[in-house]
Order: sequence, then structure tokens, then C-alpha cells
Amino acid sequence: MSLLRSLLPAFAVPSMVTILSLAACSGEPAKPTEPVQPPAPVEAPTAPPELAIADLEANAQNVTLVPSPAEMQKAMEKAGIADGLSKLVQDRQLKMDVENKDVVAVRTGVVLADCLLTVKDSPKEKLVERLGVVKAGMQSLGAGTDIQATIDDLTARITNDGISRDDLVKELDEMHGAIIPEIKFEAGERAVPLIQAGSWLEGSNLVSAAILTANKPDAGTQLLRQPQVVDYFLKYVQTEGADKAPDAVLKQLEGTLNKLKEIAAKPSLSGDDVKEVKAQTDSVLALL
Amino acid sequence: MHMLLLSLLALPARADEDQAETCLRTKIWDGYNSGWAVRTSTKATLNQAGHKVYLVTLYAGNDYKVLACGDSNIANADLVLYDHTGKQVATDSSSDKEPSLSYTPQSTDTYYIAVHASKLNDPTKQGSIATAVTYK
Repeated sequence: MSLLRSLLPAFAVPSMVTILSLAACSGEPAKPTEPVQPPAPVEAPTAPPELAIADLEANAQNVTLVPSPAEMQKAMEKAGIADGLSKLVQDRQLKMDVENKDVVAVRTGVVLADCLLTVKDSPKEKLVERLGVVKAGMQSLGAGTDIQATIDDLTARITNDGISRDDLVKELDEMHGAIIPEIKFEAGERAVPLIQAGSWLEGSNLVSAAILTANKPDAGTQLLRQPQVVDYFLKYVQTEGADKAPDAVLKQLEGTLNKLKEIAAKPSLSGDDVKEVKAQTDSVLALL
Repeated sequence: MHMLLLSLLALPARADEDQAETCLRTKIWDGYNSGWAVRTSTKATLNQAGHKVYLVTLYAGNDYKVLACGDSNIANADLVLYDHTGKQVATDSSSDKEPSLSYTPQSTDTYYIAVHASKLNDPTKQGSIATAVTYK
């Protein structure tokens, strides 16, 4: 220490002793201390600008507008009218080798809805058959290879008992909600809304049948009154189909949608309105 | 190696729809385990402070959750649900790139979902946001 005192100024020695002592205690060499910075202020979340109704109406896209058949089924369960729903689904023999692609799209939507609504208790063979019809529809629409590969994969797993019905519900749900909207790039912009129209018509037909069977006409307002959905399909059939030769199915579809628009404009639906929905949707589906 | 990493980090941020979709798909499949199902998923590429509006029909009695995922250039994405009159009925309160909001409508009606790219990491580039409407 005396040697140290001789080499360093007097004021430095106590400091050195302190530093060396601290280093000895920690077992590590002393590090120069950095000034403590105050914590950065947390950026308070700012609310996005509120949008005016005119902005919402002018810019809204319809991609999420139409409820899925499975979602409709869930709403029916909550309304207490879903019992025996799958038995109401008819065994339709719809052909996809027709020239009019709009009709193919509507038919594909109908069969897709039948798949979704019967997936839990349909026999394996019937489920595979319906998926085969959906695949034929997608092929006819030129929907690309992804959707067909998805259907092939599901079909193989159903055939080999390689998938539970609960998991199949999820797979079909995702196919309907996430994969089919993407086919517009291959099959064209018209295909997706017309597939949706087919699924929605089939769903509405089954809902109206279930309401009448359960004798719960009050449920009609909650389950069938969807004026914006009707408008969306109607505008499509009227404007997008105007350049095409009249087709019996599309003509009936337009008439049905016009009638459903009248019904949906009412603040609430009566039992007679529900019967009219059933009759109108029956008339379109019978032409398919 | 460090130079390579630094040069990769220095690349300009680009809209990455696949990244946003992958994140959203993970959330959708996680949701299935809790009984949620998906109605539709979609995606949008936006500028800083840009927004996209989607029209959606919601059933009375069903529970709905709107989920979104931003890509790496999204610092803060926001979701707002408006009723058909333009009144806000639900909003997410987070300030991250994976917002969500929940809503149970009392009547079947049409609503508007607004998706906002509130803040981008690189405001000179665009960011992608994938959005899904789920229900149970």
C-alpha cells in the first residue's frame, strides 16, 4: 500500500481501495458505471380515426358479408330449431357438365352447403359423393388445382377413416371460408358470389323449413331477414348477368331474390313470410 | 455472418401477405380448439394510416370474434366494429399488430368492420393485414 501511495496522488488512493474492495467482493472486475437513463415513455395507444357512415357505406367490401351455412346452423341451434336439420337436406342429383358457368357455380354452392350441414351424421359414402360433386363443379369453373387437391385429400381421409367428423367440420369450414374465396383468381370474380348465393339459398330454404317444422315463426326475423345479403346477390345477378343469354335458373333466381328483398324490408317476419321464403327458395332449387 | 445479418435487417420492409396469413391461420386453428369456427378470411395491403372496410352480417345470439394479423411492417393495427347506423359498438384496445375484438349482437343485422394500419415500422412502404370473422 505504501508503494501505491507513493505512485498515486493522495486523493486517488481511497478511491482505488474502494474499487479494488468491491471487485474482490463480487469476484468480477469492476465495470465503469453508466448513467441511469429514465425509462422511455410508453406510447399511449391512440384510437384510429372514427369513420363516417358515408365513408363506411361507400367503401365497404362484400367479401365477409354472407354468413356461412355452418354459421347459419349455429344460429339455428341457439334458436332451438336445429334438431333434425340434416334430415331436411334433400338428396339432389346435380350435374356440373352444363355450359352455363353461373348455373354451375350456384349448384356447387348448394352441394357445398349440403356437405357442411350434414357432415356430422351423413354416411361416409354420401359425404364422399357430395364432395365429388363439389370437385366436379370446381373443375368446371376452372377453379385451379389447390381446391381440387384439398378435396382429394379430404376424400381420401374420409374413405380411410383418417379424420374425425369434428375435424372434418373444421376442414370443410376452412375450405368454405378461406380457400374458396381465393378461387376468384382462376375462376373469375363471378364464381365466388354465385357459389355463395347457392349456399345461402339452400341454407335459407332449410332454415325456413326448420322454422315451419318447429312452429317457431318468431325465429324468422333473426334467421332470415338479411336485406344486404339479398341486395348483394341481386345486384350481381342483374348487372353481372345482363350481358348473358337469359337462363331459366338465373331468371327464377332474380325473381326469387326480388321477392326475398320485399320480405327482408319488413321490420319483422310473420309465419306467412317464412312460408313465402320456403316457397320461393324451393322454386329456384327445383330448377337446378 | 454479422454483415449478412445486418444487410438483411437493412432491407426495406415490404408488404408480406403470406406472413400475415400464416399468423392468422395459426390463430384460426387455435380458435377451433375453443369452439370458434371461421366465416371468412381476407387480406388487405395498406399504407400508413390507411384502412379497409368490410360489410358483415352477424346473427343474433352467436358470439363473434374478429381477428387480424399484420406483417412485419405493421407496428400497430386496429379493428373497429360499427353498426349499420355508423355507431361504434366494439373496438380493440391494443397497440400491437395482432388486434381482436369480440361482439355478441342482440339482433341479426349488418355491421361494418374497419381495419386500420395505424402505424407502420417503415411508413414509406406498405403493410399487409389478414382479417378473419370467427363465430361460436
